[in-house]
Amino acid sequence: MSLMDSFAAGLALVWSLESLLALVGGVLVGVIAGAIPGMSATMAVALTLPFTFAMTPITGILLLVGVYKGGIFGGSIPAILIKTPGTPASSATVLDGYPMAEKGQAGRALGMALWASCTADLISNLALILFAGWLASFALSFGPPEFFTLILFSLTIIAGVSGDSLLKGLISAIMGLLLATVGLDLVYGTNRFNFNDPNLMGGLNFIAVLIGLFAIPEILTMVWNPKGQEGQARGLGGGWVTWLDYRRCFKTIVRGSLIGVVLGSIPGIGAAPAAFLSYSEARRKSKNRDNFGKGEIEGVAASESGNNGVAGATLIPLLALGVPGDVITAIIIGAFMVHGLQPGPMMFVANADIIYGLFLGLIISSIALFFIGTVAIRGFRFVADIPKALLFPVVLVLCVYGVFAVNNNIFDIGVMFAMGWVGFMMLRFGVPAAPFLIAFILGPLLEDNFRQSMLMSGGSPEILFRGPITWFFWGLTVLTVVAIARAGLRVRSKLLEEKRT
Amino acid sequence: MSKQSFLCVGGAALAGAAFLMLAGIPYGVSSPSNVRNIVLSPLFWPYVLAGILAFGGAGLVLTAFRLPPGARDERLSDVPGGWARLGAIAVIMLAYVMTISTLGMVWTSIVAIVAVAFLMQAKRPLLTAVVAVAAPLLLYAFFAHVAGVGVPQGELVRLP
Repeated sequence: MSLMDSFAAGLALVWSLESLLALVGGVLVGVIAGAIPGMSATMAVALTLPFTFAMTPITGILLLVGVYKGGIFGGSIPAILIKTPGTPASSATVLDGYPMAEKGQAGRALGMALWASCTADLISNLALILFAGWLASFALSFGPPEFFTLILFSLTIIAGVSGDSLLKGLISAIMGLLLATVGLDLVYGTNRFNFNDPNLMGGLNFIAVLIGLFAIPEILTMVWNPKGQEGQARGLGGGWVTWLDYRRCFKTIVRGSLIGVVLGSIPGIGAAPAAFLSYSEARRKSKNRDNFGKGEIEGVAASESGNNGVAGATLIPLLALGVPGDVITAIIIGAFMVHGLQPGPMMFVANADIIYGLFLGLIISSIALFFIGTVAIRGFRFVADIPKALLFPVVLVLCVYGVFAVNNNIFDIGVMFAMGWVGFMMLRFGVPAAPFLIAFILGPLLEDNFRQSMLMSGGSPEILFRGPITWFFWGLTVLTVVAIARAGLRVRSKLLEEKRT
Repeated sequence: MSKQSFLCVGGAALAGAAFLMLAGIPYGVSSPSNVRNIVLSPLFWPYVLAGILAFGGAGLVLTAFRLPPGARDERLSDVPGGWARLGAIAVIMLAYVMTISTLGMVWTSIVAIVAVAFLMQAKRPLLTAVVAVAAPLLLYAFFAHVAGVGVPQGELVRLP
């Protein structure tokens, strides 16, 4: 299939009422969910996943991508209006967004957040279209040893950068890998931690684990402290962002988008670090650097372009290598699997129509985000007024229906609740949940590629160092561990120094 | 970075690793007797993971001892009535799972919404009642009639 044929096939998939409605509906749901403090883009994507079972693969995936994109932008609305980021990625937006709202310029700040988000989203999508195919064609030559080292590197970086400590991230990832071993052995078909229970023979249900880890802990947190999510929303004020504002911030937006693209394409980094890096770069280069933190519109543009620049780029490792770049893409990989698709280089050969349909859908989602975002900014007050004490019980029931729908099995609901308590304890003790989930998804792949390599070499570990690609990933893994350990040591010596003084 | 959280997580990881090595893997994982190479055995991977878990746990405990006694971790601080509410929701969750097949998912969900809303100190009882009935029914309509899922109906009242 030529490139043009693939695009035509993709267009035929996307250009249907069902797909367009899914995309627009997804962006709308994402913006609303992102705008509700306590809900997050991750939770919204996880809860939408069960609704995709009855859809065609492309429609379901477009719905989830729409929720993802909408959710990341939606998080900036409460960040600016009530100083509470709707998603962690919007934390940097608070720095200048809220001071602008205090000055009566909330509308201007939100307008800039939207324009910067849409621009960054478009740039990120173009990067995905340009680089994913190229990376996939390169990855076609990967064998089990190369995939093993690639997944090991991805897990190392995800474990290292997700929380406040590399060791906590490591423990989280190991717990995920251990949970992934439940079920029948991949090679011999013998029992592993399933105690002859038929419910455990096929392993734990991915969606039950995912919703348990990312939605139930939020409900438990709300039960723990029902008054913890309250905030006073500010008015939009009279002003709106102008073309002149946009032109003045354009360089910052493009820089932030590129930072987002680079960080987003590395598995595990995520949107929040991209937003903060973009913000600090903008402050360093700006003529108005003294105004940053006091209500500078360029600050809002920088942080929003940084976090939205990540959105398309995180799909690069997902589509090209089959490795999720963050938690949300880990959920999206689940949607692919539910529909019988395995993301990775072979998908560019076997399901090129879906890949190109997804690319086109992403471009359309940027446009949809612009229009829906404009309306959502004005409608935020209604969203902010939804009583959390009513919303979260409904979310709990939605989780139960969604998880049951996967296998028609009540046992999965029990698994979800159990994982919810695990997730809640992890939240309390500062153990990041992202490495757990990503390791749970990649665990079977990691073990499978390791054992296949060992079968190929007759048990010799030399095969894991067989060529430049494996050496490259080993090198990156070592570099990552050294860099993260050094950063941890620096923080500890700073703490000790503070104690002495 | 809190000393308390490092100690708790490290201790739990060490205990988990010890349990896996001494009981979990020997009794929970079976391996055929004819496996020639240890790295291909179904036992190999779980033992490697348990070993890394022990290493991570020991690392965290050591780090905790070398950390200065810093400020109290806000995530670990208590909230008035927090533990009682958590206990109550644990009971609700357990009852939810246990009664679905008898009462049906819709009726159990209605009761669950009311109970959880009460725990979360919902202020509008009438609105809560309306939402508690409407949300499970709408979800039933979607999953049973659009997605074709066999939503459990229970033994008491059956829905169309």
